[in-house]
Amino acid sequence: MPETLRKIVIENSDVISKKWLNEITEKRITDYTSSISDDLYHTTNQEFINVIFTSINRKGDIVEMDDFAERLISLGWPLSYITDGLQKFKRVTIEFIISQSKQNDSNEFSNILIIVEDWVEPLISHLVNRYSGSWENTVSLQRMALQELSAPLIPVMDNITVMPLVGTVDTERAKLIMENLLEGVIKHNSEVVLMDITGVPVVDTMVAHHIIQAAEAVRLIGATCILVGIRPEIAQTIVNLGIDLSKFPTKSSLKKGFNEALKLTNREIIDLKQDDKDEIIKMIDSLK
Amino acid sequence: MITSSSVRIKKEWDIVGARQMGRKLAKDLGFGTIDQARIATAISELARNIYLYAEEGKVEYEIIEEMNKKGLRIVASDKGPGIEDLSKVMEDGYSTSGGLGAGLPGVKRLMDFFDIISDPGKGTTISTIKWVR
Amino acid sequence: MRIPILKLHNYLLVSIQIDLDDQTAIDFQEDLLHNIHKSGATGVVIDLTSVDMIDSFIAKVLGDVVSMSDLMGAKVVLTGIQPAVAITLIDLGIHMQNVATALDLEQGLIKLHQELGE
Repeated sequence: MPETLRKIVIENSDVISKKWLNEITEKRITDYTSSISDDLYHTTNQEFINVIFTSINRKGDIVEMDDFAERLISLGWPLSYITDGLQKFKRVTIEFIISQSKQNDSNEFSNILIIVEDWVEPLISHLVNRYSGSWENTVSLQRMALQELSAPLIPVMDNITVMPLVGTVDTERAKLIMENLLEGVIKHNSEVVLMDITGVPVVDTMVAHHIIQAAEAVRLIGATCILVGIRPEIAQTIVNLGIDLSKFPTKSSLKKGFNEALKLTNREIIDLKQDDKDEIIKMIDSLK
Repeated sequence: MITSSSVRIKKEWDIVGARQMGRKLAKDLGFGTIDQARIATAISELARNIYLYAEEGKVEYEIIEEMNKKGLRIVASDKGPGIEDLSKVMEDGYSTSGGLGAGLPGVKRLMDFFDIISDPGKGTTISTIKWVR
Repeated sequence: MRIPILKLHNYLLVSIQIDLDDQTAIDFQEDLLHNIHKSGATGVVIDLTSVDMIDSFIAKVLGDVVSMSDLMGAKVVLTGIQPAVAITLIDLGIHMQNVATALDLEQGLIKLHQELGE
């Protein structure tokens, strides 16, 4: 039975293709293909239906379909395009076969249904598995990359360290950062930690909460945490969200924060070359 | 390695026993120092609650495995007076003994999983889990 | 078992080396206050480097010790709180804001020296 059906479908591939193309164009759901031009959409549809027929022709060989899907994935086409397309193909084909069939009993119909489904469902399954495998892989790689973006504690001078925070601070990362921070403070005997948030794109209540907690933990250990690198937008969101940073020393730039750190650790930077500079200036003045 | 055990909480000193047992199990399971401290502290809080409010109860430890992660389940149970208003007790800052104890919200934050069943007049059972990272 | 309290000039030094049970903590509170009274010390350093767990009860006892000592004219600095302990305290929501801290014994003494303006 399947062989006969297959022949019918292949012999009438033109008609079926036309019907399918019509359906898929008519019922184009704009939201998921909105960024794709009409031309590209049509060309891709054409290619799609060809690939489907190739697979049926070759009795279920899916190499072409696989390549096609892989190309679409990497170009950013949504998975639903493929699954919808295959579902529509299933429907169009079933409708066509039934319309051609001389018999009218329900046995015949359900047979046809089952057979066509057996062609199409494995295809859909296979592709969904492929796509989701690829997504999960990407997500897990990204998560690992983010964790590797660990926030290092950099000693810049005796008793002073800097922690540049880069990227979003979610709860998972915050835990790692906090542990790293505290252990680093003790390891480097850092009395002052300058936490630089220049590289944190968004400071919402959750991020602020994590930063504040980290600073409090630093205080408990016996060191002081100064928050630096607060960009104007961040300052605005902090105030707008009503986040209270009053107990937290802050400075606008790392430079200012560093000076504060020096004060706190009873040190200052003295320019040694000032005398030389004065000499040169005197010399230049004397030439006038 | 013991896969499950329990400590009875009746004397004040049992609180120390319970948390030391917890720390030991945590260490054996491979938890880092910070998580060991979290577990020990959570147990201390739970055991103290039993001691203060129920007079007697127990803390049970169980090593569990799920999918491909290992964890330690701590169940603190007593047949004490139970908790009337669970939602209040799970609010931060609420305390019935005048500032003593950070309360259950703190324990919830220390652990990965927290569940409480309490029947006024019958008792309370608190179940928590910490997974090895 | 009582926690030993040492005297260094005007300061009292304490190093807590054991897992504090409730009774020992309360005894310590008493002993310290008694000692402050007897010696007239104006500064106290309590080193917690060897303490691997502080729960809410111990935190309260320590916090109280600081307030009580203050009433008796002595400033207290807690030193050497370990990362694991700091993190659990924060998780529990205990911030101990009225308590002065320092990284280690040496820094603690320096801080006291500065605070007391001697």
